[in-house]
Amino acid sequence: MDRRKFLKTGGRFLAATPFACDLLVASVASASGPGAGRWGMVIDLRRCPEGCDACVKACRRENNVAEHGDPRWDVHWIRQVEIRPHGQEDAPTRTVPLLCNHCERPPCAQVCPVRATYQRDDGIVIVDHHRCIGCRYCLIACPYNARFFNYRENEAWPNKDYPKRSHGVAESCHLCAHRLDQGRLPACMEACRDAGAGAIVVGDLDNPESEISRLIAANSVKRIREDLGTGPKVHYIGL
Amino acid sequence: MEILYQPLDGRSRGYYALLTVLLAFVAAGFAATFYLVVHGLHNSGMTNRIPWGLQIVMAIFYIGLSAGSLVVSGLYGIFGKLEYKPFARLAAFLAMLFLVAGLLSIVTDQGRIDRVFVEPFSHVNPSSMFSINPALYMGHIMICIFYLWALFKEKGRLTKVASVVVVLWALCVHTGTGAIFAFTPRELYNTALLPPSFVAAALSSGAALMIIVLTSLFRVTKRHLDMALVIWLGRLLAVFIVVALYVILIENAHRFYQIESREATTYYLFKGYHAWLFWGGLIGVGSVVPAVLLFRRRTGTSVRWIVFASALVVVGVVCERYLIVLPGLEYPPELLPGMEIVRSALDEGIVAYVISPLEILQALGVLSLIGFIFVLGLKYLPLLPTEARAHGESQMLKHLIAEAKAESAEKATGSSV
Repeated sequence: MDRRKFLKTGGRFLAATPFACDLLVASVASASGPGAGRWGMVIDLRRCPEGCDACVKACRRENNVAEHGDPRWDVHWIRQVEIRPHGQEDAPTRTVPLLCNHCERPPCAQVCPVRATYQRDDGIVIVDHHRCIGCRYCLIACPYNARFFNYRENEAWPNKDYPKRSHGVAESCHLCAHRLDQGRLPACMEACRDAGAGAIVVGDLDNPESEISRLIAANSVKRIREDLGTGPKVHYIGL
Repeated sequence: MEILYQPLDGRSRGYYALLTVLLAFVAAGFAATFYLVVHGLHNSGMTNRIPWGLQIVMAIFYIGLSAGSLVVSGLYGIFGKLEYKPFARLAAFLAMLFLVAGLLSIVTDQGRIDRVFVEPFSHVNPSSMFSINPALYMGHIMICIFYLWALFKEKGRLTKVASVVVVLWALCVHTGTGAIFAFTPRELYNTALLPPSFVAAALSSGAALMIIVLTSLFRVTKRHLDMALVIWLGRLLAVFIVVALYVILIENAHRFYQIESREATTYYLFKGYHAWLFWGGLIGVGSVVPAVLLFRRRTGTSVRWIVFASALVVVGVVCERYLIVLPGLEYPPELLPGMEIVRSALDEGIVAYVISPLEILQALGVLSLIGFIFVLGLKYLPLLPTEARAHGESQMLKHLIAEAKAESAEKATGSSV
């Protein structure tokens, strides 16, 4: 190789380096989840009627979520917890729905050894249950206890338009991605509207004109364990 | 000095009986796994809140055990301690088998075993410790096989290179295994000291197991094993114990000092049944007692006591492995700081894990399978040396033995007078 050729090749190599680095950074970023958040949720707890569990029931019916009657193995894509301030036994309790926060930087997707859990471009964290090997590492990594494993076979199949949940795989709320993709509302949001509460709003966080963006702008919202840096996208009003 | 290898004859009734017993356990373990696959993992002790159980505990225990074998093997390859060369083949073989056991424990724990042999290879996720580790484990097994081949063929230079590579690789394997837990955002998992403490415990448990295996193998097959060699290994083990103990104490002192993790650490150290496992099993039985036994001149120079201390260390490290996995799961993540959850469809508080008989059968099955291969290996591979004699440095330990003997004799005569 003469000097001219050497310099030429070297120059090309140098010129290509930034692109190669970019590619590397991009691949690492996509593995741990980019900040491409779009779909988000607001839950207005002030509008959440006492004793209502329409969202939980609707989710179970829509997504064929397994319920065996045993808290050890029941699967909850959305669950209600009753809370009160720590150590104040006389304080009134409040009910809060908990579900997958569709984190901007999801730890579950970060640890999934087969990339069965991943983040879609629209920010939804979803499980490919045909690929999941059932290692349950995502259950360990999720700081919200929002992921569940199908320990046992699930016989119930109320919604024939959506796959029956198969045993041996992990899963969590997917924000009814199958409905959003068809331009329909998530089941929990629809049920909440039908029940007359309208506490749950799912929408586009990037669009400042969307209902969800306006709600977030107009109210004081809280996200669960924001301090962890996972970037949860479920916003609570009145928590 | 040339070392002669003479495999087991392997035609005695005892040999076949041992193989049969091991095979029976393998069958039981296979049946248990089959049952769990068909009927669901809820038949194990695992739940929504405890997604990992005994299989993961045993996996990291087995993987840790392989470290010590390599250290013993590396004594010759890296440090040139020729008198430990007779053990090098056995140790490398065991190191490989323990990695196989670790992988098997993980594989049989999956929800969809049918996908384990495809998806992890077709969809690698470089940010997952569960994706990185299998590559490390399989690499380790292959390097062990290569190393073993170099030892069998008596390739001097290649053996040295291979033993350095295998020890460095093992360091990655153990660090990676510790990182499975340390790199997840759970209160009792998330500590940078976990990988080093994993390595330290791996060294002590592995060295302890090697002492037990070597002494019993040489005794059962009636081969000569110089006491001085075992005593020196005991000293090495004592040092490993102290290092492991140091890392574990610092790890816990640190998280106890931090205000945000104090509550979880208080739970870990002082509440529940695992406080017994920590103080009784890991610290008392597993570290302090064996360290004292090994450092004391009288007990530290007696093979019987050294083997006893080694058994205690192995028990202690089983406790340690259990303590790595389970308390961190039993203790709930703080979902809503400042709030307490009064009612939920999920068990949100501290939950308990109960080991199911099926998981025990699985664990015994895996152990028996590698035991079976090991026993076969003793017959069909040139692993067992005819004798192991001390020369060189550990020769110097002989005067220690003599002194200890003289001392106890003195005491005996003193007390009789």
